[in-house]
Amino acid sequence: MTAAQARRRVRIGVLSTEHMHAASYIRLLAKMPGVELIGIWDADPARTGAAAKLAGTRALPTADDLLGMVDGVVIASTNADHRELTERAAAAGVDVLCDKPLATTVADAEAMVAACDRAGVRLMTAFPMRFSPVIRSLESSVRSGVLGSVVCLEGVNTGRMPDTLAPWFVDPALSGGGALMDHVVHLADLYRWILRDEVVAVYAVANRILQERFDLVETGGLVMLRFAGGVFATIDCSWSKPRSYPTWGGLSIDAIGTAGVIRADAFRQRLAVYGGPGASVAWPSWGPDEDQGTLDEFVAAVSQRRPPTVSGVDGLRAVEVVAAAYRSIETGAPVRLAT
Amino acid sequence: MTIMGPGAPDRPSGSGLRVGLVGAGFIGETHLAAWRSEGIDVIVFDVDPARSSSLAETFGATVAPTIQALFAATDAVDICTPTHLHASVAIAAAHAGRHVICEKPLARTLADGEAMLAAARHAGVRLLVGQVVRFYPEYAAARQAVIAGAIGDPAVLRLTRASSRPRQPADHWFFDHARSGGIVLDLMIHDLDFARWVAGEVVSVTCRSAAFERPDAGVDHAVAILRHASGAISHVSASWAYAPPTFRTAFEIAGSRGLIEQDSDRTAPIERSLQDSGASGRATSLAEGAISGDPFRLELAEFARAIEANAEPRTDGGDALETLRLALAADQSAQSFGQTIRLEAGVGS
Repeated sequence: MTAAQARRRVRIGVLSTEHMHAASYIRLLAKMPGVELIGIWDADPARTGAAAKLAGTRALPTADDLLGMVDGVVIASTNADHRELTERAAAAGVDVLCDKPLATTVADAEAMVAACDRAGVRLMTAFPMRFSPVIRSLESSVRSGVLGSVVCLEGVNTGRMPDTLAPWFVDPALSGGGALMDHVVHLADLYRWILRDEVVAVYAVANRILQERFDLVETGGLVMLRFAGGVFATIDCSWSKPRSYPTWGGLSIDAIGTAGVIRADAFRQRLAVYGGPGASVAWPSWGPDEDQGTLDEFVAAVSQRRPPTVSGVDGLRAVEVVAAAYRSIETGAPVRLAT
Repeated sequence: MTIMGPGAPDRPSGSGLRVGLVGAGFIGETHLAAWRSEGIDVIVFDVDPARSSSLAETFGATVAPTIQALFAATDAVDICTPTHLHASVAIAAAHAGRHVICEKPLARTLADGEAMLAAARHAGVRLLVGQVVRFYPEYAAARQAVIAGAIGDPAVLRLTRASSRPRQPADHWFFDHARSGGIVLDLMIHDLDFARWVAGEVVSVTCRSAAFERPDAGVDHAVAILRHASGAISHVSASWAYAPPTFRTAFEIAGSRGLIEQDSDRTAPIERSLQDSGASGRATSLAEGAISGDPFRLELAEFARAIEANAEPRTDGGDALETLRLALAADQSAQSFGQTIRLEAGVGS
């Protein structure tokens, strides 16, 4: 890398603002020193204009217009649109940071990984919890051996139903599913990363009782995984927080080892505020912003021309776990994954 | 007269009920303390006379030289022996015409449990099983809230029981799966019973346990996922992997219209920070959430009323048999490395 290249700001665009994470990405990108936020494209021009205006950037009329002007794109569309947008970025030779889940089917996720490989562009999956200092501390503790050998991971990633933030979350054609599709990938990915191991068996159950028996997608779900090395792990992915809950939800992992237990709650760093606007109690976070870490890593990978630490294959593996979970729900029995 | 706490019944102390306690171990001591607090006379038998004498002396009870002598002197027999011995003592007590109170789990095997129920039915005596979690005020209050409709229909339950490994020698019956049933029958059974109590009968269970997955690990920890006939699903976790002196219980009950959260870490009304904390005489830790009512006293007082006044207890032998059936299925699932076990008729039906 030449000095000139190192100084040049990385040109980033945002493809689609349908996911509520887009607002956070745009806000952060607009003030990152090494980044030139080139512009935003969204299938809905009204939505694009609003988002662009907010960040003081341009709204581009077509995705290809934007792809012609950038080094990398952040894809924050509906889950179902991830594949098409990623393939277009790959065809344009543009590096991709794609929101989670990478895709709604294993076939789509595989196609995305293959397309980016063929085109020689980077594909990073946005797993922001990889950049949570709380989770990183857990990961390094486990790696250091203070827990002895891990026998079990129990994770909770529950939240409110996100339909009020983005209605497509509860439209299976656009989201691919409900609480399982929304939440399982986070913990599945963290477990793979913490253990440096792959899932070999998946058992899952789900129902549609929560949120006033909302029934377009599953709202409650529990998953049990087994890793090749013998660790078993569970995930509560339910949309079990009522609308009146003081925060959106949370993510925590209890790591049980032969030498003890570590309990990590990624969102425990919060205030309790009473009497504020909108709710009688609110729990605003004073903890770190994981989206910043995600963007920093993507921009660094693009700028340094190196693979991102969270890959497209990581996204694919997590989608494989979700797909196996849905199969398990159908069969009522554990599903084996090829290793 | 005995001064009673706020959770104590309005029954006068020193009622006529004569209780014979069999087994002077850890849970026997807990029960004896509760009986004595209720002002009830107890006679104790243990195969080790030194243990029964010591316990009786501490709590002001008398000692029976033989189990037959204990049966002869009592109305009800409270069985606090190791799990695999529950059945033989219970059946003998029933044959002697004595009511039977039995610590959980009901029995080590389903056949034993069924034989106990049959013996009690045949003798016309009560069989009451100490599924004590139903008497913990926080659990009883949560179930009451669910019944009152506070959260709509139960959908997703997450039940947690986290403890250090019981401080017993390695050859203690407690660590012998053949005698105790291991962590699932001894510890997880509490929450399996609570899951049934709140969300109804269970149609399948899938469970993994470190004892079977990782016999080399030297710790035990088990997790089960239940499907209930109502459509509800439950995540049940039981651990002996924590450092002493942990005893944490937590639950979350998410329903169609709301959510109940409880965590003993956040609701312990007293926190102690003592410079000299080395001396703890007890071998197994019990949850200390009971300031608003000792669950063992509440349980045994309710069982006493069931025997004396024919009052309906919140749980009985038939209930305990269904919980045992579920726990054995969970254990079977764990032994088969997470195969899903179906309970075709549905436990509790």
